[in-house]
This record gives sequence, structure tokens and C-alpha cells, in this order.
Amino acid sequence: MQKKLQTEVTELLEEARRFTQQGKREKAYRSCLKATSVAPNEPRAWYLRSQSAPSTEEQLMCLSRAYSLDSSYPDIKQELRAAIQILLKQEPFLAYVYETAEFYQVRSGRDLLINIPKNRSFEIPYLKKAPGLAKPAFRWLSLALLGLLLGGVGAVFLAPITAFQSLRLQSLARSRGDQVRLWVVFTLSVIILMAAIPISWLLLIRFFPS
Amino acid sequence: MLVRALYLSAVWFALGILSTLIMGSRLQRRDMTLSLLWLAAVILLGNLIAILTFGKILEIIGLSFIAFVFGLYWMMRLQDWNAPGQVTWTMTLITTGLFILYTFLLTAFSPLNPPSFIFALMFFFLEAITLTLALAHMHESLDVVCRVQWHRLLNRLEPVPDYQPMVSLQVPAYNEPVEILEKTLSSLAKLNYPDFEVLVVDNNTPLQETWRPLEDVCRKLGPRFHCLHLDQWPGYKSGALNFAVTQTDPRAEIIGIIDADYEVDPDFLSELTPAFADPQVAFVQTPQDYSYSRGDLFSESTYRGYKYFFEVSMPSRNERNAIIFAGTMGLIRKSALEEIGGWDEWCITEDAEASLRILKLGYRSLYIQRAFGRGLMPFDFEGLKKQRFRWCFGGIQILKKHWEALMPWAHWVDPGNRLTLAQRYYYLVGGLGWFSDVFNLLFAFFLVLGASFNVLSSPVQVRPLTNTILIIPAVFLVLHSMRFLWVLRNRLRVSLFMAVATMYNFFSLGWAVTLACIQGLVQKEGVFLRTPKSNTTSRMWHAIHVTESEAVIGLICMLAGCVVFATDSNWRTFSLCALLFWQGSLYMAAPIYSLLSLNRKTAQATHIAEQGKPVVEQRAARWVVAICMLLMAVFSLISLLPAPSGLPDYVRFLPIDLTTQQLVGQARASPASAPIAKVTVESANCRAKPRGNAERITILYKDEEAQILGRNDDPNNPWWYIKIPRLSGNCWLWGMTSTTIGNVDEVPVIR
Repeated sequence: MQKKLQTEVTELLEEARRFTQQGKREKAYRSCLKATSVAPNEPRAWYLRSQSAPSTEEQLMCLSRAYSLDSSYPDIKQELRAAIQILLKQEPFLAYVYETAEFYQVRSGRDLLINIPKNRSFEIPYLKKAPGLAKPAFRWLSLALLGLLLGGVGAVFLAPITAFQSLRLQSLARSRGDQVRLWVVFTLSVIILMAAIPISWLLLIRFFPS
Repeated sequence: MLVRALYLSAVWFALGILSTLIMGSRLQRRDMTLSLLWLAAVILLGNLIAILTFGKILEIIGLSFIAFVFGLYWMMRLQDWNAPGQVTWTMTLITTGLFILYTFLLTAFSPLNPPSFIFALMFFFLEAITLTLALAHMHESLDVVCRVQWHRLLNRLEPVPDYQPMVSLQVPAYNEPVEILEKTLSSLAKLNYPDFEVLVVDNNTPLQETWRPLEDVCRKLGPRFHCLHLDQWPGYKSGALNFAVTQTDPRAEIIGIIDADYEVDPDFLSELTPAFADPQVAFVQTPQDYSYSRGDLFSESTYRGYKYFFEVSMPSRNERNAIIFAGTMGLIRKSALEEIGGWDEWCITEDAEASLRILKLGYRSLYIQRAFGRGLMPFDFEGLKKQRFRWCFGGIQILKKHWEALMPWAHWVDPGNRLTLAQRYYYLVGGLGWFSDVFNLLFAFFLVLGASFNVLSSPVQVRPLTNTILIIPAVFLVLHSMRFLWVLRNRLRVSLFMAVATMYNFFSLGWAVTLACIQGLVQKEGVFLRTPKSNTTSRMWHAIHVTESEAVIGLICMLAGCVVFATDSNWRTFSLCALLFWQGSLYMAAPIYSLLSLNRKTAQATHIAEQGKPVVEQRAARWVVAICMLLMAVFSLISLLPAPSGLPDYVRFLPIDLTTQQLVGQARASPASAPIAKVTVESANCRAKPRGNAERITILYKDEEAQILGRNDDPNNPWWYIKIPRLSGNCWLWGMTSTTIGNVDEVPVIR
């Protein structure tokens, strides 16, 4: 069944290509229209339909659909951009609908839904970044630092906990970055402990001045 | 010994700064011999002053040797600086280091009860961080004024034959009046560059009447100009700019950002694009210049304040390839922008954030010190305050996001991070520098608190107010202020009066920066400051109303200063009063500038184009109030607890303070007069033996004087054997509770 459908679409698209070469745009369009209704998930069908579409709006819609189905389809980005430019010359209005790592979906002033390629590498937004493995160790480290600032006694207890945490997490660390981070936390916790001992002694002698 | 070393280094520091103020910008040569002579001259002159006053020969020789060797090290490291710069930097480091050590010893070994000690320790850390930040400012100032050899500073670029890549200029706009945008676009139409396009991206402007006319303007200016309105667009300005990148001509290699209110010179592109012939150069920045009204103090000082960044900070950063991409009047390589994933839509200073990510990839940046256009400054103080809040908030966001990339271990965590040590230093200091204003407010709080306890004669003590703790910070304050004024005068070519006005313009925004720092730490997403609304139509009242917090803080400081001096007039309270007036003046500058901004004719044309979540100033200030309340609560706790009875053993490690007579050399000058001990604390116990737990013979009160008959044999923890005034008999008075008048060197040791 699937194979039969595939053959039918291929034939329709071949027919459309032939009509296009002969300059019979209307017939080519009709073949593409049939192809997109038979196989709505076929990017080639949408792309070819855009070539013979009677209006800019439809051309845009077809290109946009083709792009969302296969963003690596050759020449599609340039043609999509050119079609959008024509549309924006007529009506420079675009409203945001949603976006993915690869494209924006926007609504034009004439209520067309268009997918626009982003053309750039994807970076996870700061607020959506998952906390790293070393985060609990860093949290203990900041508490130990606070303990150091507040008289050192807190740091005497918290710095060893931090060191222990970093060593415990070390066994779970897969990436080199996490391993380095945890060693850094360990080293800093030792430094904090070294500083906290004399400072907490200075605090304790205030309780027992004699 | 430590205290004498500290005073000696402070003398060298002062001599270094003074000689730099005179010769720092004039001496345009680097010469090792001259540097050595300069260093020797400053050291010898300082030594001479010390010998005539407080110094001891052996100590002076020892410290001079250390200072000389340290100076030699910095001469080798800072070979592009002239001699005054190298010497001043050396002396600043020595004095700062010694003062931090002194304050630590004072904190550690003063007889304080436990909560006082914790408070004193926090104060010590605060002081140490502030002094370290002041060092960074000193380095930047000396780096630009005392630098003799520039390696990367350019005023213009040589044209590259046959290289004229296509540039896409993007003009983001939000709620901008069409008249202002039309001027900007008309200036872009006159660019003498063959291949460029202009994309006007209006985002989220609510009214069609505001953005629709842009279409006609673009159509009128020709096919290079494209207009686009984005509706319900997330990510504010950076969200819109990210989308604009998708709409640039595929042939465009370079992207330029132009603010909607900026008029650009015709040579802008033809002069800057040759920089991109080097594929390693990812962005180029030029100074942002503004139109200002000459003779209008607010306008001119604000203008100079803006220029400071581009005349001082950027040249210094540029020498280490660590500049910031400041958005408008900068060009960025499109492929580099795409490589980093576009502008960060979370950060409200997306341009500076992008530059850090680009430098992280190992690209180069370039700063051309020539302005190619002029923009509009905020029309009034309220606008300036909001703008500074936004910049600072963005700076803290960058620090929050990238702090790990700036750490010394960054290369090991992420081998792809190619930031150099200097780049990490500049970005880290740039972010942390904003906190100076938070520390400034905390200092003002401590000073007011100290004054209140003085007036109430409360026994609460955080740290003994020794002569050194009063004199050395004042020396730092005066010398760093002089250095700031000197840099302003030299780099901005302004009169002393205008330099002072510019300095106060900076400080007047301290409150807004403090709020932004705290909000930056506690808020997840970008916010903008909403100043208090007033119901009145009076512009004058509104100007005062938007700076009411600053006015209240300033008035409290000044009032506390007046009261503390009026209730107990002596040189210590005078110093406290002077410091409080200084702090108060920094905050009082805000309402004054706000009132001055009323004189501007353009003030009525103000339009506010803020995007993001609003944070009302009073609500933002609640964090500040909470911190102050917490500190007050801890102080109250201290006052409830008893002060240590007697003198603990550890006080023997306290550094011995110098008396004012010793400092000015009077103690040495009058050897014949009998030395006197004068009580400096509210009350001091006079004991049977030179120990804190010995039997109390009598109590002496503040300012009471007694003749010194002898001393103990511990020079680190002196006790004076005194004749009890008005009564017969003798007793031991602890040195830390009193100051001495006259020569105590010849006093016999009593065992």
C-alpha cells in the first residue's frame, strides 16, 4: 500500500516537473496539488507546488510546509526568504506563534502561518539549562564560605562536608568538566577549612578569654 | 613595626600619586634608568619624612629594600608604562596589602565580645574586597594615562583593496517616535558604502499609529531599506534582533546595530569594514558619542560620564583584546553571531554578553577610537537612573551566567573556552565593579551607626577607632578621588570643575546601581526600574520625588555628621563628620542633578521605551532595608552582651598604634617634657599589675591625663605605670585605652 502510494506520488511529481519545463504552470500546479493531498508529508511535493503556486501567499505556505518537513531540502531556505521578503514588502507585519531550535512559526498580516528558518546554532537558554552534577557541592561550598565570613566556626563543619560531597560525587562524574569542577570544590573546601580553623579559634577565645 | 611600615608606605603612596598627577601624562618615554631613579627618589623622600617624624632607621631600611625589589618586579612587568605609573602602582599595592594586614590583626586581636568579633570580621572582608576593587580602578587609570606604548589602539584603518563585504544594518525600535527614527534612517541613507541594507525592526510597539509611518519612511528611502513590525514577540530587543538575522540578505557578511536615536556619519562603514578582512576579527566597536548642551551642567557631566567608558575602560581593555561589544556603533561578523547561537534573549545587555561568548571561541575584537555619529542621551535624571539600572542589571546577569568561564580553572572545565587570563580579569572586574556602590552604601550605614553610638555613648564597639583606622582610609579616599579627577581631566580634557561634576554624576547613580545589583542577584528574568509616581503636575516636585531615597540617605549621613561633631568636638569626631559629609554628598548629588535636569528644554519630549517586567523602586529597596534591619538587630544583640572584662591575653598581638604626636614628630622634638597618658575610651581600669585580670585600683575617665612613670617590658602590648591623678599612688593603665603625649622611648621599664 505504502509502496503504491509512493509510486503514485513520484509519478505525479515527475509529471509536474515535465509540465513546468514545458511552461504549463496550471497543469503542473494541478499535479502538485494532487500529490500534496495524496502525500501531505512529502516535502518534495510541497516544494514543487510552491514553484507553480498561483499566489505569493500559497507559495509561502507551501515552502513553509516543505521546510518544516525537511529543513535540509536544497534551496528551500533561500526561496523561503525571498518569498517572505515579497510578502513583507506588501505587509510588514509578523506575529509570533512559537519557535523550535530550527525555525520560528509566525503569523503574517494576512493570517498565513509561516515557518522561518533560524540559520544559527542552538544554545539552550540559560534558565532552561539543567543543573550540573557539581551543583550540590557548589552549594555546600557557598555555605562553607558564608560560615567563614561569619566567624569561621560554621566553615569548620561545612568545609569537610563540602569536601566529602565533592569526593562522593567524583565517582558519579562522567565528563571531564564535572571531574575538574569537583576537584576545584574539594581544593577550595580545604583552603576554606585551613582559613576557618584560626578564625574560629579567634572567635572561641572570645568566649573563654582567660 | 607594622603600623610604622603602613604609615611609611602611605607616604610613598601619596608621593607616588602626587608625582603622577604632575608628570604622569607628560612623561612620554619609557626608560629603565629613569624608572629606577623615580622609584629611588620616591622611596628616599618618603624615608626622609619618616625619619623626621615617626620612623625608625632599621625598619625604614628593611621596608625600603622590600619596596625597591617589588618596584623592580613591576617595572619588568609593566614595561609599556612610564616611571610615575610603575612607581604609583607599586606603592598602591604595598599600602593596600599592609592596610589589609593591619585591619585583620586589629580585628583578630581587639578585645571584643563574640558578636562584635563576627561583625568586625564581616567588616574586614568588606573592606578587603573594596580595596581590591579600588586597585582594579587604579590599574585601569594608570594603564591609559601612564601608558607610553600602545599595541592595539587605532584611530583609523587602512582600506583593503577590493574588500567591501555586504553589511546589514539593523535598527531595533520599540515605541520610538517616527521623527527620531526618520533622522536616523536618513543618516544611514547617506552612507558612502556600496553594499548595505537597512532593516528597521519594530518590536511589540502597541499602537499602529506609532509604527505604521515607518513603512512610508522606508519606502521613501529606497530599496535598501526594509521595515518589519514584530507582534507579541518574546525576548524583547534581542528576540527581535535574533529574528532580524533570519531576514538579512544571505550575501551579508557583517551585521551592524544602530540605535533608533542615532545619527551616523557617512564614513561609518567604509572606515570600519576593512577590519573584517582578517577572518579572526569577529567584532569592531567605536565610541558612542552624544549631543549635549554646552553650559548645561547635567547634560555636560552626563556626556562626560558616558565618554569615560570609551576613553578609559575600552582602550585599556582593547590592549588585551577584551573589549565589550556595546551594540550601537559596532559591527559584528554574521557567521560569528550565528556560531554562538545569536543574541541571548534572557540577558538585557545582550550585546556585551555576546562579545564574551565570541571571545570565548578565540576570535579577536577591535576598538577604533573615533566616533562615527551621535545619539541622544536620557533627557532627565529619571531616564539616566533607569538606564544605569538596566546596564548594571545586565552586567550582573552576565556574571551570573558566565562566572565559571572567568575563573582560573575555566580552561580545565571547558577546553573550548579560549579566554585569556586578561580577558577573564577584565570581564570579572567589569561585573564585580558594579558592587562598589553596594559597598559604598554599607560603609555609609556603618558610619551612621558609628556616629549614633558615639552620640549615645554606647559601649558597643565593632572595632577600636585607632588613629591609623581613621587616618589611612582617609588617605585612600583622598588619593583615589584625586586619581579619578586626574584621569577625567586627562582623558576627557575637561576643567577641574567639570571633572568634579562628572565624578558626582557617577556617584549620584550609586543608589540605582545598588538596587540593580541586588535585583540582578535575586531576579530570574530581566526587570526595569519604575521610579515613584507623583500625583502632582509640578516638574520640580517630580524631580525631587524620583530621587527621594537618595535624598533621605544623603540627609541622614549629613545630619549624623553634624550631631556627632556638635556633641563631642575633637579631631576624631571631626574626621567622622567629614567622612559622613562626603558619603552624604554622594547621595545628595542625585536630587541636585535631578533638579538641574529640569533646565533642559528637551525634557518635555521625554519618552520611555522600557521593556520587561517592572520593579517598583520602593519594592526593590526592600532588600536594602532588610539588610539594614538585620545589621541593626545584630548590633542590638551586641549591646545586650557584656564587653570582655579585663584584658585578654590575646591583645598582646595587637599592632601598636602611633599617637598623633609621634606621627608629626612632636614626641621626638620634645624629649625633655614628661610623657603623659591620656584616656581615649569612656572609662579605663587602672590596675595593680600590668595584666587584665589584676586587681583594679581606680577608674580613669575619657580625656583624663596622668603622668607616665614607667612601662612594662612588652612593646607589643604596652602598659603604662602612671601616677594616679588627684590622688596619691600609682597604677597600671593599658596602652590600648589611652594615647600618649611626649616621648615615651626613654620611659624606664618596671619589672
